[in-house]
Amino acid sequence: MSAILTIMKKEFARFFGDKRLILSILLPGLIIYAVYTAMGSITQSFTETPVQAVVCVRNMPQSLSQAVSSVFIIDEGEGDDEALKERIREGDLDLLVIFPEDFDEAIAENALPDVSIYYNSGDTASSSAYYAMTALLNSFEESISDVLTINRGEGQFDLADSGALAKDILSMIVPMVLIMLLFSGCIAVVLESIAGEKERGTFATMLVTPVKRTYIAAGKILSLSALAMLSGLSSFLGLIFSIPSLIGGLEGISFTMYGFTDYLLIFLVIIMTVLVLVALLSIVSAFAKSTKEANGLMAPVMILVLLCSVVSMFVPNTAIGIYFVPVLNSAMCISSIMSGALSVAAFLITIGVNLAFTLLLAVVLAFMFNSEKIIFNG
Amino acid sequence: MEKTEILKVEHLKKTFRLSLRQRKNEGGVRVRTAVDDLSFSAYKGEIFGLLGPNGAGKTTTLRMLATLIKPDSGDAFIDGKSIVAQPYEVRGKIGFLTSELKLESFFSPNYIFDFFSELHGVPKDIREERKKSLFARFGIDKFADVKLGNLSTGMKQKTSIVISVVHAPEFIIFDEPTNGLDVITAKAVTDYLSELRGEGKTIILSTHIFSLAEKLCDRVGVIIDGRLAALDDVAALTAEKNLEDKFFELYSEVAGDRQ
Repeated sequence: MSAILTIMKKEFARFFGDKRLILSILLPGLIIYAVYTAMGSITQSFTETPVQAVVCVRNMPQSLSQAVSSVFIIDEGEGDDEALKERIREGDLDLLVIFPEDFDEAIAENALPDVSIYYNSGDTASSSAYYAMTALLNSFEESISDVLTINRGEGQFDLADSGALAKDILSMIVPMVLIMLLFSGCIAVVLESIAGEKERGTFATMLVTPVKRTYIAAGKILSLSALAMLSGLSSFLGLIFSIPSLIGGLEGISFTMYGFTDYLLIFLVIIMTVLVLVALLSIVSAFAKSTKEANGLMAPVMILVLLCSVVSMFVPNTAIGIYFVPVLNSAMCISSIMSGALSVAAFLITIGVNLAFTLLLAVVLAFMFNSEKIIFNG
Repeated sequence: MEKTEILKVEHLKKTFRLSLRQRKNEGGVRVRTAVDDLSFSAYKGEIFGLLGPNGAGKTTTLRMLATLIKPDSGDAFIDGKSIVAQPYEVRGKIGFLTSELKLESFFSPNYIFDFFSELHGVPKDIREERKKSLFARFGIDKFADVKLGNLSTGMKQKTSIVISVVHAPEFIIFDEPTNGLDVITAKAVTDYLSELRGEGKTIILSTHIFSLAEKLCDRVGVIIDGRLAALDDVAALTAEKNLEDKFFELYSEVAGDRQ
C-alpha cells in the first residue's frame, strides 16, 4: 500500500518541481481572470459612456421646459427647419422637436396637440434620444390625464427576492463552466503523466518492480486528481474574482449567499467528478500510442463531457434516474445545490455512482497496465 | 562443485500479430514467431550470454523473463517462481536493464534511487548504505543531485544500471548493457558484471558483441530466428575457432536449413 503513496509523492514532485507544469496548472485561472475582467470593463465602458443628446426644440412649452432641459442639451437652432434636419442626417444634431405654438393652451382645453419629432434611426445617439423624448412626453401625458396611476406611491412593488433570481442564474451557468474548467485541468495533468510517461518509456520501468498494477493505477489517479483539482481551483478562483466586473450590473449576485454546507457539498461533488474524469482520461491516455494521439482522442471525450454539462441546464432536477449517469449527475447536483433544491437521495446517488464508476475505471486501468499491447504498443 | 539451477526456461514461445502493412510485406503471413520453443537453464553464480543477430528474439526472451510480456506457451522459473503464474514474486527477485526502460530525465539519480527503492520495499537505512556504495562505485556521487536529462549518455547508463539493482537482486538480466557507450564506460560496466558474479549473483546478458560474450560469459546460448542454435560453455564453443567464426558457421547451417 505504501507504494501508492510513493507513486503519489513522485507525481507531486514531478509537477511541483517543474515551473512549466506549475504554470500549466495555474495559467487557466489567470487567463480566465484577465479575459473576463477585460470583457467586463469593455462592456461597462460601452454602457457607461455618458451620452447627453443634443436637441433643438421649437415653441418650447412652459410646462415642459424644465424637464426637457434637464435631460437634453438644448441647441439654439439657428437656421430654418430644413437646415436642422440636414444636421440630424449628418449626426451633428440628435433631435428636432416641434411643438404647436399654443401647446399649453391646447392641453388645458383637452385638445390633442400634435408634436413632431425628427430623428435619424440610423444613428444610435439620435434614436435613443428619440426614445428618451417619447418616454418623457408619455409620462407627461400620464401625469395630466387623471384616469389612473400605477405604482406611484412609495414602497417596494416587485416582490421577487433578488437573491433567488441570482441563484437561478448561477445554477444554470456555474455547473457547466465548472465542469469544463475541471475537465481542462484534468487533460493538462493526465496527458503529461500517463501518455507522456508511456511515450518516454519511463512507465515500463515501474512495471518491472513488484508493485501491484492496481496500486500504480490508484497512485496515478489519486495524485492526478489532486493536481487536476488544483488546476480547477485556479480556474474557479479566476472565475469568482472576475465575476464582479463581468456582471457588475446584475444585482444580488454574491458568493456569500451560499452557506458553508453548500460549499462543502459542492466540494464533495467536485472531488468525485475529478476522480471520474481523471480515471476516464487516464484510460484514454494509456490507450494512445503517443501524447499526440492522446490529445486527438480527448476530443470525443470532451464532446461527451460538454454534452453532459449542457444537458444539465435543461433537464428537470427532479428526475432521479439522471443521477445514475456519471458527470451528468455532478452537473445536476451542483445545479441543484446552487438553486437550493438538492435532495439527499440525489446527492448520495451521485457520490455513490461516481465513486463506483471511478473504481471500475481504476480496475480497467490496472488491467491495461498489465497488457503488453498497451505498454509496448504491440 | 554442484551447480544450482536458478533459471529454468521450458519451451518458451512467443508470436506477434503483424500489422496489415507488415502482412503485405511478408506475403500475407499473419503472425511472426519471435521466440520458438526455447529451453535452457542458467546456474547460480554464472554469466549466461544470449547471443544473436538483431531481431533473433533476444530482447523478446528477456522481456518474457522479466514478466513484461507473457509467453504464448511454455514457462520459465526463476529461483522456482513461474514467470507466468507468479509474476510479482519474479519481479521482486530480478533486476532488469534494457534500453527501452527509461528513467525520467526530470529527476536526479538520488531521487530516482529512493523512488525505486521504495517501490521495491527496501528499508531506508539499507537504501542509504547501498546508494552510497553504488554511487561511489560508478562515480555518480558527484552528479547525484543533477537532473538526469543534464547527464551524459554514459552517466545515464550507469544510473540505469544502479537503479536496476536497488533491491540487490540475486538474478540480473542485462539487455545490451554496453550499447552506445565509449570503451571506458563499457569497461566499467563489464567490470561490474564480473564483480556481481564474484558476489555469487546470476547474470543473463544479451549481446550481439561476440568479443564481449567471449571475454565475460561462462556459458552462451546462440539464438537464431527465435530458436536455440547452440548452447555450451564458452570454452567448448571456442575450442576450435573464435566465437564470431563459430557463430557464422552456425548461422550458415541454420540459413542453409531454411533454404
